[in-house]
Amino acid sequence: MSSVFSTGTKTLTKREILRFLRRPWNTFLPPFITNVLYFSVFGVILGARIREIDGVPYIQFILPGLVVLGAIGNAFENASFSIFHGRWNEYIHEPLTSPLSYRSMVFSYVASSALRGIIIGVLIALIGAFFTPVHSLAHPVYAVVFLLVIATLFAGLGVIGGLVAEDFDHLTVLNQFILRPLVFFGGVFYSLDALSGAALTASYLNPMVYMVNGVRYGVLGVSDIPVNEALGVLVALTVVVLALDVAMFKRGYGLTD
Amino acid sequence: MPPAIRVEGLEKDYGDVQALDGLDLTVPEGSFFGLLGPNGAGKTTFINVLVGLVRKTGGEAAVFGNDVEDDYQGARDAIGLAPQEFNVDRFFPIKEVLVHKAGYHGVPESEAKERAAEALKRVGIYDKRDVRFDWLSGGMKRRFMLARALVTDPDLLILDEPTAGVDVELRHDLWEVITDLNDEGTTILLTTHYIEEAERLCDEVAIIDSGRKVTVATPDELTEKGSDTLTVYCESALDADAVPDLDDERIESVSVDGDAIRVRASSASEVAPAVLRQLEAEGYTPIDIDIERTSLEEVFVDLTRRGDGSEDDANDGGNGAGSDGASGESETDDGDETDGRVVAEASR
Repeated sequence: MSSVFSTGTKTLTKREILRFLRRPWNTFLPPFITNVLYFSVFGVILGARIREIDGVPYIQFILPGLVVLGAIGNAFENASFSIFHGRWNEYIHEPLTSPLSYRSMVFSYVASSALRGIIIGVLIALIGAFFTPVHSLAHPVYAVVFLLVIATLFAGLGVIGGLVAEDFDHLTVLNQFILRPLVFFGGVFYSLDALSGAALTASYLNPMVYMVNGVRYGVLGVSDIPVNEALGVLVALTVVVLALDVAMFKRGYGLTD
Repeated sequence: MPPAIRVEGLEKDYGDVQALDGLDLTVPEGSFFGLLGPNGAGKTTFINVLVGLVRKTGGEAAVFGNDVEDDYQGARDAIGLAPQEFNVDRFFPIKEVLVHKAGYHGVPESEAKERAAEALKRVGIYDKRDVRFDWLSGGMKRRFMLARALVTDPDLLILDEPTAGVDVELRHDLWEVITDLNDEGTTILLTTHYIEEAERLCDEVAIIDSGRKVTVATPDELTEKGSDTLTVYCESALDADAVPDLDDERIESVSVDGDAIRVRASSASEVAPAVLRQLEAEGYTPIDIDIERTSLEEVFVDLTRRGDGSEDDANDGGNGAGSDGASGESETDDGDETDGRVVAEASR
């Protein structure tokens, strides 16, 4: 009755997109200010004292990582907040009591949240281009595909976060104490060449390393990891997470008594 | 055509608490069906099973033949729900909330906009269409809940305490809207604490208690289960100890109070001529009579106070023990409402 192309699915997706587009001060201003500060402090002020990494200026080196940081943070936050807020105020009952399939509902939350992540990623790239001109993308297809996959993956994880959270504090914990440390230790601000021993091994276990390096490969043509394998793993992980999202909706986890 | 709702042996437990305990119920298509029960009887749990907000732990439930789990999309598409609690999207003006809700049911946007305007006009809050839900008054919020249930043009409209806490004027407005809808063919399932509402609106009423059906009948059939009071006023005060000896098997009791003789009988209007004849024969001088019919409220209180609340008990008379009415659901306690007769108060 409701495929992902149905009126119902389109309506819920549109509703989710309008929710963040109509609040530009909340959606776009914080990442704008944060990334202007990142590029100013880490790129311009500190970057002037740091030698090139992998043959590219430091400010350019951190650009892909900051794009990833913004994209995944926003994709995760959008999905988790929208679902949790809907649960908290019970208006998620509006789609839940409608003839939307569980797959359709997950599609809508994930697609809209991934879109927000990608929009923020592009915004950060534009801010970066203002500070350090990147004349062309080294591998544009990789840049686009990696950004698309990681935004979808984190939107899918955000759905889980929104269903599992019992309080607003839980969302903060997920974002600030799990996501952010993984990103910061995911090679946003440094190359894995700078690490050795246990720190290097731990980095290879951090999924963020593969995401940051994938986008960096697409933008700058440099990477600490084999990008095709990384892309394969990320796509597989995304499929698993989306399947888990649908299963949780079907089970009514966090949604029904 | 399958009935609007059919549930058989429906069960829902919350750990040790049995909210629905083998509920059997059939709501015919096109009917105006009332669901009465004390707080915690399982009314809201039952409704939430139908719309997918509560997962049943046993039994079967279907809406127009669509199983609520296996054919959940068909079941949910047929239902328009106005729940007891306000659960409205606060991010958008109410007009857009309705457009979204219609869209979720597959209504294209242009038609959804027309339906939204129509629904808001029908409940009388069209001029508030660009306002968010939080900015509406309490009465307008209640009207909006009905508009949201209507915007999908449902075959089954479920109203869970739609008039709880609203003033008399609004209550009558809402009654008019839902009566019109029923006349147009929409099946209505109404839960209410107001007996007057059930008596006035419903074709049939189910009384449930402790998650089980106590009885299903028309309001008239239910009131006939109770006893009426025939009061015969005499010319002068009577001796309280000189209770007339009235010979009629339909009479349950006779008492004297001042100048009035009160006769309890299964059908007071039928027994009245014989009573008057007997009284006049015994020398009394009746000057006026008054017949007070049993209210649905009295029958309701009687039925829900009995033993374990099963249908058999209701028919057989029960054991008179109080009902514990345990349930995992949370319902608004309207016991202190001043307007209308309130079951919650009466059944405590």
